[in-house]
Formats: sequence, structure tokens, C-alpha cells
Amino acid sequence: MPLDSSSYSLAQFSTQAAADGSSYLEMGQTKIICTVNGPQESKRGGGSRDQSNAARIETDISIAGFSGVDRKRHGRGDKRTQEMQHTVSSAFSSTLFTHLFPHSTIAIAIHVLSQDGSLLAACLNAATLALVDAGVPMSDYVVACTTGSTASYASNDEEADPLLDLNGLEEQELPFLTVGTSGGEDKVNVLIMETRVQMGRLEAMISVGLDGCKQIRGILDDIVREHGKKALNSRVN
Amino acid sequence: MAISVLPPAPAPVPTAHKTQDGDSPVDEDDMDIDSLPTGHQRTAQNILTPGQLVTQDPQWMRGHGTFNADDSDAVNIRSTLAGTLQKTNKLLSIIPLRARYTPEIGDLVIGRIVEVQSRRWKVDVAAPLLANLLLSSINLPGGILRKRTSVDELNIRSYFSEGELLVAEVQQLFQDGSASLHTRSLKYGKLRNGYFLSVSGMGGGSGVVRAKRQIFTMQTRRGGEVDCILGVNGYIWLAKHLDEKKEDVGINKLEEAAAADTTMYSSQNDEIAAETRAEIARISGCIRALVENGVKVEEGTVKMAYEASLEIDELEGEVSYLGGERGRSVVEMVLSGRG
Repeated sequence: MPLDSSSYSLAQFSTQAAADGSSYLEMGQTKIICTVNGPQESKRGGGSRDQSNAARIETDISIAGFSGVDRKRHGRGDKRTQEMQHTVSSAFSSTLFTHLFPHSTIAIAIHVLSQDGSLLAACLNAATLALVDAGVPMSDYVVACTTGSTASYASNDEEADPLLDLNGLEEQELPFLTVGTSGGEDKVNVLIMETRVQMGRLEAMISVGLDGCKQIRGILDDIVREHGKKALNSRVN
Repeated sequence: MAISVLPPAPAPVPTAHKTQDGDSPVDEDDMDIDSLPTGHQRTAQNILTPGQLVTQDPQWMRGHGTFNADDSDAVNIRSTLAGTLQKTNKLLSIIPLRARYTPEIGDLVIGRIVEVQSRRWKVDVAAPLLANLLLSSINLPGGILRKRTSVDELNIRSYFSEGELLVAEVQQLFQDGSASLHTRSLKYGKLRNGYFLSVSGMGGGSGVVRAKRQIFTMQTRRGGEVDCILGVNGYIWLAKHLDEKKEDVGINKLEEAAAADTTMYSSQNDEIAAETRAEIARISGCIRALVENGVKVEEGTVKMAYEASLEIDELEGEVSYLGGERGRSVVEMVLSGRG
């Protein structure tokens, strides 16, 4: 299933000079700013320094009140946000080479400006871009997308048509899952499903999701290359 | 200063990205490693991205920014960064487009004291970890070769306290990549009478580069002499030049000089004339313009940018803000002057 790539065309790289790495990503009407700071020594007080042998990944997601259809304040302790933060951190912990930076922290800050489905997937993709910009070593891109299953085929499992990259309306109506892979090797880092679906449809959904991730990887890779070419051309030695 | 409101720039035109369908792998443009010259210049124009296969040829060794994809003995060197390939004999490494500064021994850095401990300071040098500055690796007042005493330990905040800036040299690196600094030279030490500026450092991209001279004095048109210290970590210090005998102190006189130099650890700024402040602001504007336009920052380019900014002011009238269009034309003059 081909991905509507035009909705990704507004992904940008290196948008904020003050951060070590930053990105801006639109997936449909979901719009996200991501900044990465680090690796740096954790600024938390307490005196005792982080004794771990690898960098910690701290994610902070803030969802703007005006981002959804109805204005809603998303507090810091919001359970859904906390879960997403944890998911993003753990998705990158196996792909980033954190062992190169002992006792330090990599801080990912994600700001959701507008949400219309595929929120977690967009967060992961934006964070990947920002981490590449920050020059944090990783074994491959972490890319994610959502897949859903059309409910109209309730009795006819074989012909149930999986959908790729859902928007907000579709997410409300259909069972869907978010799958995140570590690039071309089809190593699944994230697989989250909060709705129920018939067992028989799951396999098709996942395989469509994996295919979608591969396509998104190509899109992100193009963005990085385009930016890199521009940076090299403007660079004067 | 007149405030001008610029019209909003149009949104970027959506470009159609080619998507890879199905199983066809990402079209990784083949690079010819053999033809790449060995050495430290950035000659490679090919961008490598994370996960991209660099080579399967077993003759190459993998360096920074690369990893071996699988644990088997097969050579499968892949990139972990977005950057360009650098070849040093048989060693392949990836130079990132942008990354944080990583300390190396001998680097001249500017740092800010973050924490004071019993016998050392923790210094922020824009590296992944805070650097250490030991009490024993600074010049103690009252004789350069004096041994440190317990009184010095108690008075540690009288030398450097939190938030103060200093210029130092990286003396030693530890296993975890953190650095140990020293200021055992009269050209290093506490900074005052000036202006701090943070740009990107040696990590890659534009910014400060390692050069023959990181510390130099500029003769400005109106404000007298201004000292520029370009730390390779991207921290820059611009300060009023103080007439001191710093440079021509012989080795035998070091002690006397240090003893006489009671101002060495002073945190009190001198009176700085408005002209000098204006010139410092102009130089900082020039440096920012250089960084924004991807030109490396070193003695030559800074001096040329300063001259260019004066020239443009003469032609187009004086403006104190050196950004945007004005900054670009300054940088263009610098580049045409070099070419």
C-alpha cells in the first residue's frame, strides 16, 4: 500500500539553532516540533552523579491546549502523555548507541502543535530526525506509522482491508495499532494497540505497517540527505 | 534604531519525495572509497545516513561513527551518523554534519564553572560531560610554583565560584570521555571585562575550528584594542584589551609577574567605554553572521568580517544590528576577499 507521501513534505531538519538537534514534522494535520539536547551531564541536583554506564534518554512531551478539536489542558501528570514519553524513550534506548556516553542524559522535548491521528508515530519520527540532527550515533532510523482495519468487513475477514497512516477520524472509528521499526532490518521497537481487533486481521495489519515504516524511512532519509547536501554546499572551507 | 517589519516569507513549496515501494532497498549512491583522498580535509561530498552500508570490503577498519551490523565475522560496516566519510589510511570514520563538541588533549576551551567541590571545579565546556578543573592545576596567586595548601582548599571560591567564566586547556581525557583542564599559563585564567558568545564548536558544521592562533587582539577603529578568544568548543570571549606585560614575561620573571598580578582572580569589571562596547558588539555580530552563513570562524575570517562590516557601514550608513541581509553581505565580502 503506497503512502501518501505529500503529507510528509513539510518535514524540516535543524529548525532551532539553540538546541543540539531539532526537527519539525507534519504527518497530515499532526504537527510536531522536536528538540534534542545532549548528551550532557544531567542537571538535576542532588550531587551524586549518574553512575550508569550508558546515557539515559529522557522524553518530555507537551501537548498544546489548542492542538485537538476541543481545547483541553494536558497536564504534566497525564497518564497518556506519560505512557507516550516512556514509549519514545524505550524505543530509542535499543537503537541509540547510549553506551558511548556514560553518566549523561539525552533529553528529547516534543511539542505537539496540532493533532490529527498517528500522534505517537509522528512523535517517534520527529524524534528520529532531531536525534540525527544532534549527531547522536544510532544503528538505524527509528520510524513508525499506524495501521487500521476497516470495520465494515466484520464477517469477511479475508477481505478486510488494512489502512495505512490513519487520521484522527479514522482512529476514532477503526481498530488501529502503531508499529515502530528500526529501519530497514525490520526490527520492531514499538508495537502498541489500544483497541480490539479480530486475531485474523492482525497479521495483515502488522505487515502493512512494516511496509509503511519502510516507506517512511525512505522519506526521512531523503530529508536528511537533502539537508546534508544543502549544508555541504553552503559550507566554505 | 528604526524597527522594520519584514513581510512574511512564503511557506516552503511542498516537494514530492520519491517513495521506495516494497522491497527495493534505499538507493544508496555508491561511493568510491578508493578514490577518496586520505587526510583531514572535507573533500567527500557524499552524505552517509544512519544505517547506510559503507562497505563490505574486509580491507577497511571501522572508526568513529561506524559499526558492524551483525556480530558475525563478516565485515559489514554501516554508518551511525549523518555525515561525510573520512579516510585515514585504512580507517574509515564518519564526520557528522553537526554534533556536540568532544574534547581532545591540547584544545583551548572556554568554560563556565557549574559546581565547586572540595578540591576541584566542575566546568561546563559544551561537551557531553562536565570537565574537571583541579585546584592543583591552576596558577595560585603569590608565586606560580607555590604548592597548594589547605588554606587554598578552604578559599577555593575566592579563585573561581559558580557561574564564572575561564579560559583553559584540555590537559587529560578520562575513560568516559570527560576532560581535565588546566590554567597553568598566564594566558589562561579567569575572564572579565567582556562579552560571552556561544556558537557551534569543533563537533562538525560551521563554527570555531582549530587554528594556529585561538587568542588574538584586534585593533578596532574607535574602541581601541579588543581581545578575542575563540574556544574550540564554540564558546567565544570578546573583551577589552588590558595593557599587560603578559606576553613578554620571561621564565625567570614568571613568579614576580604572578605575585604582582593581584587582579588575576578578580571578578570586578573595569570601566569600559561606550565605543569599546560598540566595537565588541560589532565583532560579535560579525561572528554570528559568519556562523549563520556556514563560514568557519578563525582569526582571518573574523578580522575580514570586521573590516567588511565597516566598509558596508560607510557605503550604506551605520546600523548596529548585523543580521539578516546585512550579515549576508558582510560574509559575501569576506568570501570574495579570500577568493
